[in-house]
Amino acid sequence: MPSATVNNHRPSELLSRLASAEPEVKVRALREVKNQIIGNRTKKLSFLKLGAVPSVAGILADSIDEVTENDNRNNNNTNNILVQSAAALGSFACGFDAGVQAVLDAGAFPNLLRLLANPNEKVVDAGARALRMIYQSKLAPKYDFLQQKNMEFLISLLSSEKENVSGLGASIITRSCETNLEQKTLFDAGILRKLNSLLEGGSLSQRDASLESLSTIFRNNPEVISKFAGPEIGRPFSSIIDLTKDRYPRTRLLACMCLIVIRNASPHFLQDIGIKTKIIHILLELLDDPGQVGDEAPFAFSSLIAQKEDLQKLALEANAIDKLHHHLQKGSFHPRRFEGILLALADMCSKLESCRSQFLSLQVLNLVADALTDYNSGVRTAACVCLKSVTRSMKNLSAGYFMNEIIVIPLVQLFLDPSSSVQVAALGAVSNIVVDFTTRKSVFVQCGGMKQLVQLSKSMESSVRSNALWALKNFVFQADNRLKEGVFSELTASLLSDLICDPEPSVQEQALALVRNLVDGCINLIEFVFAEDGLILGAIGRQLQCASKAEIGIQGMYALCNVASGNEFHKEAVIQQLFSQMDDKNQSFVIKFLQSNDSQLRTATVWTIVNLTCPSSHGAPGRLEKLHNSGITSQLKNMVNDPCVDVKLRVRTVLGQSMAFGDN
Amino acid sequence: MSLFWIAIRQLAEIEEQMASSKKVITRGEWEKRLNDVKIRKEDMNKLVMNFLVTEGYVEAAEKFWMESGTEPDIDLATITERMAVKKAVQCGNVDDAIEKVNDLNPEILDTNPQLFFHLQQQRLIELIRNGKIEAALEFAQEELAPRGEENQSFLEELERTVSLLAFEDVSNCPVGELLDISQRLKTASEVNAAILTSQSHEKDPKLPSLLKMLIWAQNQLDEKATYPRINDLSNATLEEPTV
Repeated sequence: MPSATVNNHRPSELLSRLASAEPEVKVRALREVKNQIIGNRTKKLSFLKLGAVPSVAGILADSIDEVTENDNRNNNNTNNILVQSAAALGSFACGFDAGVQAVLDAGAFPNLLRLLANPNEKVVDAGARALRMIYQSKLAPKYDFLQQKNMEFLISLLSSEKENVSGLGASIITRSCETNLEQKTLFDAGILRKLNSLLEGGSLSQRDASLESLSTIFRNNPEVISKFAGPEIGRPFSSIIDLTKDRYPRTRLLACMCLIVIRNASPHFLQDIGIKTKIIHILLELLDDPGQVGDEAPFAFSSLIAQKEDLQKLALEANAIDKLHHHLQKGSFHPRRFEGILLALADMCSKLESCRSQFLSLQVLNLVADALTDYNSGVRTAACVCLKSVTRSMKNLSAGYFMNEIIVIPLVQLFLDPSSSVQVAALGAVSNIVVDFTTRKSVFVQCGGMKQLVQLSKSMESSVRSNALWALKNFVFQADNRLKEGVFSELTASLLSDLICDPEPSVQEQALALVRNLVDGCINLIEFVFAEDGLILGAIGRQLQCASKAEIGIQGMYALCNVASGNEFHKEAVIQQLFSQMDDKNQSFVIKFLQSNDSQLRTATVWTIVNLTCPSSHGAPGRLEKLHNSGITSQLKNMVNDPCVDVKLRVRTVLGQSMAFGDN
Repeated sequence: MSLFWIAIRQLAEIEEQMASSKKVITRGEWEKRLNDVKIRKEDMNKLVMNFLVTEGYVEAAEKFWMESGTEPDIDLATITERMAVKKAVQCGNVDDAIEKVNDLNPEILDTNPQLFFHLQQQRLIELIRNGKIEAALEFAQEELAPRGEENQSFLEELERTVSLLAFEDVSNCPVGELLDISQRLKTASEVNAAILTSQSHEKDPKLPSLLKMLIWAQNQLDEKATYPRINDLSNATLEEPTV
């Protein structure tokens, strides 16, 4: 018969019974609490709020010190109390961060550790399990592997035959091992050999736990990996490779993830095309799993192929895009899976045009566009990242394929998204789309996209500001005058000059690049930099004087270069900027740039000088003299054999131009 | 010759026949070939033990162990506990089953939201079956509704179950099948599988897979040849090939 309803077992009533002096009442109450909270997140929360965790932790603390004589009944009761309280604490901690925090705050952690030394098997088991639950959370206390005592304890855990105890050892490693030093220390203590033996002879959960620990120890550590592989001629990592064919999907996934970690840290291992193809096939097949394994598989796939053209090609041949598309079409899945598949597609299309063509031919674009309005922010971000990859397709960009309402309007709406990572991702996609050579940018302007971008350039978040400027920079690239004027009047000179002097270097860089694109092409546009008393020009000069990285110098110099391609007045203004910002050493930043290691920076600077000294302009001699007096001409003479061809040729152009005025 | 033996030999023989190009094979020929197929007794014993253990026939497994010397691949004591849980669900004592599962391994229900939901669902069904409508309503509100809040994918089933409360004549309503014994068996099977998995044991016995393979292989060979088939698995007799 179903038991009596909740009336007799209201949480508060239960908790008062916990405080009973009678051990049997206590045990029953503990058991009841445990049974009410297991699997029930809502109950965990309500018991938590009533202070159940400190009560249970208190009972554990009291009982743990009870000296048990030969009195079996007392023994039994004490053990039962220990088991039930540990189980309850473990359940509070299971998948529930607030519970983990409460258990730790109640000081139960050291007592749970003590349970591991208890003579009774069930007590040890309960303690190990509870600790394992804690170590699954990022709130778990950090384990100091570097202390000898701790390492010995860890080894004893891993050597235990009990699944829960060895599993605890593995969880500790997976959670706490972070630095290369810790990884090496674990290797030196022989931990990897232990883990490997668990791989070969252990139970299912021991194998899975070992795979996770091995991945953690190998991560970004080629030295440990090659030491583990050893000098043997046979197949290194054979035990891990074998597990990729295991009957349990989770084991296959974890084994693949381990191999991927190895390969990413040490690319010379696992070079064989066969193993790479095999891993790709296994991961794609794991997408069929309806549970968590299928949710995580696409993320593992991404970590395998990201930034690697050769693997992307292999995956394309294995029909990865078709398969990912097939899964997208299924619809109604966990947001994590949706996000993973979108990111996997993004990685596939990040470099290869062949992948993008395949993607577009399958009409996946519509599904991705739908995802832009998903209620989950991770999915929205992933959809934008996917679009950013796909819109790198020059062929389709220049055909204006992406400048349509289905894509542009939802993207622009995401500019107002509450999550800044969504905003940044949307900006990334838009930055590509607005590089539209057919100049059909009207859709974007019509839906208010341009105004939104200007708004976003005032955001509190620097990454939003710099990405918005990036998009604007692309938007005005080789655009017609009317469009550029529209952008400039929306931005205003004062905002643009503020952005040039923004505290963040990445924002400075994009702002300067935007100016460069704005003034490029038509002489009328150069007037922008003179607006409001030369606000922008002055800002450029100031920023170049204290440029913190080469990229800022490059964009700024090209902006000045474009201005210097104008008339006399423009050229004079530029040369003024080059010298008015000199510091105490009386050295212009121009010399610093010419001496830079960065060839692009040297190129940009020399080009500017070319424009300033071109023979057709009558102010050229005066400017040449200034350049000579500041030592720039001698600097240039040292560069006639610059290793960079562009620099070399332009330097010779300048020197040639200066000869024309009889300069030596 | 045990039926089992016949079925396995049949399977082995078919696999061989697939390679050749003969069209009609007489019974005599077939049986002669069958006799030549070598099957190890130890393998068969393992299959039998696997079946007994997975299905939970503890006493039979113990006896078989004694009589054949075949070792079970899991601790028989855990089978007893597992069977107790399964039986409790089959009898409608879901509370009891939950307590037992939690004693066996508290992680199972803590990490299996779908299973936990189905057990709670079964509790509600039992309350309704026993006419305890007030208690059922309270239970639905306190215990089942939060499951739907915690996990949207349960909402549809939740609604179906709760709709039982709306009908006067529950046995004749659209969701009446929830009251069927088969629902209990389904839940019991789910719990059984979860316990087996947590013990790193496969949740399905091997024998059904073998028989499925046999049926499939026969279907495949049908396209290439006529030969004595096993049509009734329960008695494994070879039927004359129809020409």
